[in-house]
Amino acid sequence: MGKIDDTVPELRFIPALVITIIFGIALQLAGDWKLMLIAGALGALFVRRIRKAFLVGFLGIGLAWGLIFVYLSVTAQAMAVANMFIGLLGLEGLGAVVIVISVLIGALLGGFGGMLGRSLYELIDEFLPSSSGGEQTP
Amino acid sequence: MMKRKVVNLVLSCIGPIALIIILTMPIGPLTGGLGIIQPIGGIFDNGAPGPGSQRITLNGLDAEVEVIVDYLGIPHIYAESTHDAFMALGYMHARDRLFQITMQNYFAAGRISEIVGAYAASSDMYYRSIGLKRAAQSTLDWYEANAATDPDIALELDAIYAEVEGANAFIRSMTPANTPIEFKILGFTPELWQPVDCFVNAKMLTWGLSGGVADFQRQWIRQELDNDSMYNELFPDLMPFTEPIIQEQVNISYSEYPLAPGKLPATDDPGQYKSMALAEEAYIPKDKLESLITIINNVLSPFGERELVGSNNWAINGSKSSTGTPILAGDPHLTLQAPSVWYEAHLVVPGELDVTGTTFPGLPAVLIGHNDHVAYSFTNVGADVTDIFVEQLNPLNPNQYLYNGEYRDFVIHEENIRTKEGYVIPFNVSESVHGPCIDSVINTYGMYGDSHPNLAMNWTGNSITHEMIAAGGFMRADNLNEFIDAMYWWDSPPQNCVFADDSGNIAMLVVGRFPVRAGYTGEFPVEALNDSVGMVSNIPYAYNPREINPARCFVSSANQRTIDPSEYGYDILGPQANGYRGRRIFYLLDNNDGISVDDMKRFQADAVEVRAEVIVPYVIAAWDGSGEENATITNQVDLLRVWDFDMEPDLIAPTIWMYLIDALHYETFDEIRTINSSIPLSRTPILEELIVTNNTYYFDDHSTVGIVETRDDILVRALHTAIDTLTQEWQDETNWDYGNRHIYYIDHLAGFTVIGNVPARGQDTLDVAPGWVVTHGPSTRLIADLGNIDMSYMAYPGGQSGNMFSPHWSDIFDLWYSYNESTRQHGYHILYFYSSATAFSTADTDGTLIERTITFVP
Repeated sequence: MGKIDDTVPELRFIPALVITIIFGIALQLAGDWKLMLIAGALGALFVRRIRKAFLVGFLGIGLAWGLIFVYLSVTAQAMAVANMFIGLLGLEGLGAVVIVISVLIGALLGGFGGMLGRSLYELIDEFLPSSSGGEQTP
Repeated sequence: MMKRKVVNLVLSCIGPIALIIILTMPIGPLTGGLGIIQPIGGIFDNGAPGPGSQRITLNGLDAEVEVIVDYLGIPHIYAESTHDAFMALGYMHARDRLFQITMQNYFAAGRISEIVGAYAASSDMYYRSIGLKRAAQSTLDWYEANAATDPDIALELDAIYAEVEGANAFIRSMTPANTPIEFKILGFTPELWQPVDCFVNAKMLTWGLSGGVADFQRQWIRQELDNDSMYNELFPDLMPFTEPIIQEQVNISYSEYPLAPGKLPATDDPGQYKSMALAEEAYIPKDKLESLITIINNVLSPFGERELVGSNNWAINGSKSSTGTPILAGDPHLTLQAPSVWYEAHLVVPGELDVTGTTFPGLPAVLIGHNDHVAYSFTNVGADVTDIFVEQLNPLNPNQYLYNGEYRDFVIHEENIRTKEGYVIPFNVSESVHGPCIDSVINTYGMYGDSHPNLAMNWTGNSITHEMIAAGGFMRADNLNEFIDAMYWWDSPPQNCVFADDSGNIAMLVVGRFPVRAGYTGEFPVEALNDSVGMVSNIPYAYNPREINPARCFVSSANQRTIDPSEYGYDILGPQANGYRGRRIFYLLDNNDGISVDDMKRFQADAVEVRAEVIVPYVIAAWDGSGEENATITNQVDLLRVWDFDMEPDLIAPTIWMYLIDALHYETFDEIRTINSSIPLSRTPILEELIVTNNTYYFDDHSTVGIVETRDDILVRALHTAIDTLTQEWQDETNWDYGNRHIYYIDHLAGFTVIGNVPARGQDTLDVAPGWVVTHGPSTRLIADLGNIDMSYMAYPGGQSGNMFSPHWSDIFDLWYSYNESTRQHGYHILYFYSSATAFSTADTDGTLIERTITFVP
């Protein structure tokens, strides 16, 4: 087995972002926000710098959740739910804030997931042989 | 290089860990953490089912069950066995009302702290002191022990098992999409149901309707007044002007029904106990008494404040109706909550069951409604069936009490209360032969003379009860005799059950167990040191108050006096309702003939204030006779002068009346308020009697020296007080229309949202709406036409779904609330009563009746 970064090609930012959005939407359908860390990490496979990994995870998951919210607003009264929720905190009529915070949370999960993923890949790659058959480095 | 990568990894972990902590930690009331605001799997998955039919596997079914969900979300369950029907009902109850059922169950079982946190521990202590869960467990044990020998018990036990099985099938299949939003926000995962939970629900229903401790209140008022004559005159058990519910008592065969309801011991000779000397009232130290009253008042009652729990029901026979056959009406008044107390359902099992109406979520029974032959509805009797016995503690061992000449050990129930925060609050309840010590709820005994609980509560519902067997029977009754036979089991809570059938019969059956007391009246706490004092027996079912086909051609009840004590051999202790709604119903039915279904709807919407109808003319006459020339008051009196006593939201006169009735009590009963302003200022029928009879003693204001006030002086003074208070309190209002402040406010069980917040009609009227912010009222309205049972009607203030974002959250409220000025009726829906799923589908020619079909398969 070769190094991760040798196996997975590096993509330009936009394609990597699109892939992260797809991962974000797919894993969010499972209904567990913790999976966004994994979605961000998966997106980080396609970039090579930690800062870029954070950015692709942050924007990818943020956009993924934003798109889902657009769908839920049309089909499942997301704004009404958000208004009810914020009302419990005594902030009537500020439902949009809940959705903005939610998207921000998703973005941060994706961003931190991307950073974690990239750091992990780079560390693991230290232990893997290169795909060209090179020696495993200690 | 390697070191740098390890450091990078460690640093990269900080963000995710911090986020996980932030997103899972409780924030104020949102104990589910911020993670729940994710788009899928959190609060935005609101569980509203998409359109279209469903096919659901339900393990445990004997055969396929077809459920037609109509356009209001009401399930019509077509099954081949009652087990299957109730299993489907249990599934639907859980699907639509799981949060409500969980809340009511945990509330009654004294476990609400597990959901909402330690701040609710006092509520849990109270309900564990009463012991609803313990009584429920005893009842279940009794059912299981006796099911093999009695088919009625076996049938009901099977229904309960099926309800639980169906509900658990839903709970097991729950996904984030159909988990109630409340659980997500509160961070609570519901447990699977147990059969005992059904009985906990039933006990809560029973406690809400027949519990309460009036003995403490009576003793406190009497102690404060320190004047027995005044107490007896101003706080009697029997209200004047009452039109008793039962006026033509019908006994049934004592040899056929020799036992009390619930098939418990009874006596046909109450006289033997009436001659006994009465035990002395046992005085509870005032500070302890006041603490208990405060605690009890601060704990929520299942259906709201006891004095506001009431209902109307009546039936007319063919001689009174326009159809030539009976018509029945019923509207139970309970707390208005969201989701509603009730859940509608129609259950069909060919040859066994065809019943529709309201179920209580979590119970396998249609409690108000009709089947293919009979219709029924209930009002609360309001009898006092709870007594307090003050136990004499052993001075050497406070864990013992004196009874029959020897010291006995209290049974100690260890009731550890668990809280959401993870604490365990140790709590013990002592129980004597009379019942659990209600003062176990006070945890600071050191401040009182008694160092340990000793106030034992004997409540008829706090034992094995059999009302669920009765429900299983009366739903299936084909005629009056079968209905009466089923009600032989109904022991708690005491109810006025109106009945009509398609054979032309009408009846008012007062069902439930009424204790026969020996050696005390039941009004005040007493010491009962031996078994000669206490609830020694019961009224035999054969002699329970009842009317069957009375000569006046109608029966009616509205929580007033059950029967004239002078015409009944047993004592039924109140306090019961003031009787104004009862008087109005009696008047309407007595003075109308050819009454139609539309008339019945109009009567249910009747908003005439009988109190005002009687009292206001005296006030106007007093004002006219006073010669005063106050223009402000003259203007208000002129509004009262032309008022027809309808409590309509767009009128000012009802607003004036609300202030006037309070002022009349205040100005008249100076004898009470000058002693202690917390004592209730008597009751309105007493005030009415003083006005009508022109009482001189109570109308004289004893706080004035050298002046003797007349009745009219006080009525005019009350008018001044009322207008002054109104002017002050409404100074910010541009007009004084009643509906500006008299509003329906139906709060969500966890306070997440509100239904209503709209102007309300009525007050202490048939269309009842007490107070200013109306939180009690007709919890459903039923009109059953026994001549054409398919065209019967119902509506309740809510919706079938417990999901506040569902289209069925408040759609039936909209119907219930709507009021047609020209027909003077509220809205209803037809209780669709198709005998098969095919017939229902065939009738839905334009696709507007049926929303979806759910097929449950084994």
